[in-house]
Amino acid sequence: MADDSLLIAGSWAAAMLRSSTPLMMVTLGETLTQRVGIVNLGIEGQMLCGACAGFAVAAQTGSPILGLAAGALAGVLLSLIHAGLCLGCAANQIGSGIAVWTLGLGLTSYFGRAAVGGQVSGLAPMAGPDAMSLPFMGPILTQLTPIAPFAIALVIIAGLWLARTRTGLNWRIVGESFETARALGLRPTIIQAQGILLGGLLSGFAGAILSVDYTQTWANEMTKGRGFVAVGLVIVARWNPFLVLPVVLLFGLSEAATLRLQATGLTLSPYLISCLPYVVCLCCVIVVSLREGRIGGMPAELASVFGSRR
Amino acid sequence: MMRTERIRLLAVGGGGAAFLIAAIIFLLAIGRPPLTTLGQMTLYAFGDGYSLSESLVKATPILLCALAVILPARLGLITVGGEGQLYIGALTGTAVVVTFPHGPLVLLLPAMLAAGAIGGGLWSGAAGLLRARCNVNETISTLLMNYVAVQLVNYVIYGAWKDPGSLGWPASIAFPPAATVPSLMGTRVHVGLIVGVIAAIVLHVGVTYTRWGIALKVLAGNRKVGAMAGFSFVRQTLLVMAIGGALAGFAGICETSAIQGRLQAGLSVGYGLTGFLVAWLSGQHFLRAVPIAILIGGLIAAGDALQLYSKIPSASATILQGLLFVAALGASGLAGRRIARHG
Repeated sequence: MADDSLLIAGSWAAAMLRSSTPLMMVTLGETLTQRVGIVNLGIEGQMLCGACAGFAVAAQTGSPILGLAAGALAGVLLSLIHAGLCLGCAANQIGSGIAVWTLGLGLTSYFGRAAVGGQVSGLAPMAGPDAMSLPFMGPILTQLTPIAPFAIALVIIAGLWLARTRTGLNWRIVGESFETARALGLRPTIIQAQGILLGGLLSGFAGAILSVDYTQTWANEMTKGRGFVAVGLVIVARWNPFLVLPVVLLFGLSEAATLRLQATGLTLSPYLISCLPYVVCLCCVIVVSLREGRIGGMPAELASVFGSRR
Repeated sequence: MMRTERIRLLAVGGGGAAFLIAAIIFLLAIGRPPLTTLGQMTLYAFGDGYSLSESLVKATPILLCALAVILPARLGLITVGGEGQLYIGALTGTAVVVTFPHGPLVLLLPAMLAAGAIGGGLWSGAAGLLRARCNVNETISTLLMNYVAVQLVNYVIYGAWKDPGSLGWPASIAFPPAATVPSLMGTRVHVGLIVGVIAAIVLHVGVTYTRWGIALKVLAGNRKVGAMAGFSFVRQTLLVMAIGGALAGFAGICETSAIQGRLQAGLSVGYGLTGFLVAWLSGQHFLRAVPIAILIGGLIAAGDALQLYSKIPSASATILQGLLFVAALGASGLAGRRIARHG
């Protein structure tokens, strides 16, 4: 009996981790971008490009690792446009993000046609079927690829880096006050560009995880607004990489829970269920926004773009 | 003053040139003769009466969705919710038709259109309420609500409203003639276009010449000053969001009734997003949005025609829209910076 419940808990954890790894990476990317005072709504488009390019390369070469790398690169390339518009041309960040999203949508539905119906083999699970007998860890080790622990490690490393290192401090200074950063002799525009490109890298990587490792398919608009959900979750996680982990996992748990509920015979329309991520995300944003004044955490430079505008 | 005007003009010219260059590079990259293709697109968009009417058909929801972005922008709000409001308008308008399929024209048509507008208005008003009362960023809430709206339409057309006579195709019943938005002069262009143009004029006059316009301007500039002058940010937020949503919702039910003839999936090909682009290209100006919406409508219609005749996927129109948006944002951003520096 005890073994059974451990097994169930393990398979729940595995399902939750598997579905939330892409979201974890894109949320981390947007968190880091916003910490340098830049909002990038284009991550939805970057994630799409990452998914498309990653899938195409993985299908062509047969190597999931190359696919993941190509996806990350595609994300970086598209985020260059956001960096150029926001930093080079002083364009509005929200407008620029939507423009990048539009481009990502168009490019992937144009060039993605070639990838439709392709075959990829994802990464191998961390352990073979004999590990299934292990309590709790069994389902996790046999169902998850090394991507999930890698992603979790990345989140923790990013959090430590931002909180504990000199360069992390510089990034935070730029996000809090552009002028202070300049007075300290930093080059805030360069740091903001790095923030945007790192966000691009992680969102492209997230897209590639989605198409190469998780679903192993490519479909038009397959990210389905995960990038925008990530923008919401960044607010919920108060721009703190460490909080990205619990927030994304709780979010993944709510998704996994509904899927399981449906499997137990509760008849809910799949279309209503697919509303759930957006509704849950919006509800979380509402709750934290109501407490905005008390919990804080928003980088000060963001307020002019995003929070309480003017 | 003259200098500012000159920089603005330069920005429009520079943005246009940048877009043309980007478009040519894109067409070369996909192996199409760029100038011929661009010429073809112009013909497919505005070359003859039929092309022009198809461009106007596309321009109608785009214009209405653009107005739904411009009005909140006058209060300093950035909404990207046109797509969702359009879907909800289609949903609530169709609810009337599904409930009273045999209603008389004098009742059914107005009730359907009103229901569409009210649905879109409430959907968008909800985002306004969240913004005004709970400090939830309207850009994020509207973006997330778009996905919910699309799924709600899927929910009814695969479920309760699915027409048993449609042989498994997920769609509502066909709209009866009493619920069909009248078209103009035997083309597919319908009354929605006239409503859109009138709405643009009315909103322009309202925002430019009335006390309401002053309220929006003052509140957009500084909410505290606005409050001192007796203007309520909460009320104005609800108002602009609801009016904008009503226009987009109206676009949704018109598109469903006049063009599709039934509620079905894919009723919009990104009209909400395109409306957002048009609003920004117009510099958040109601009247300028009308010709720009027609131009972009032409681009989309030409994309469809290219797909049909030249086997270029219509996604190329989306890419061109993205390039246009990037060029325009870059040019206007640079111009704004020059004006700020040199006055």
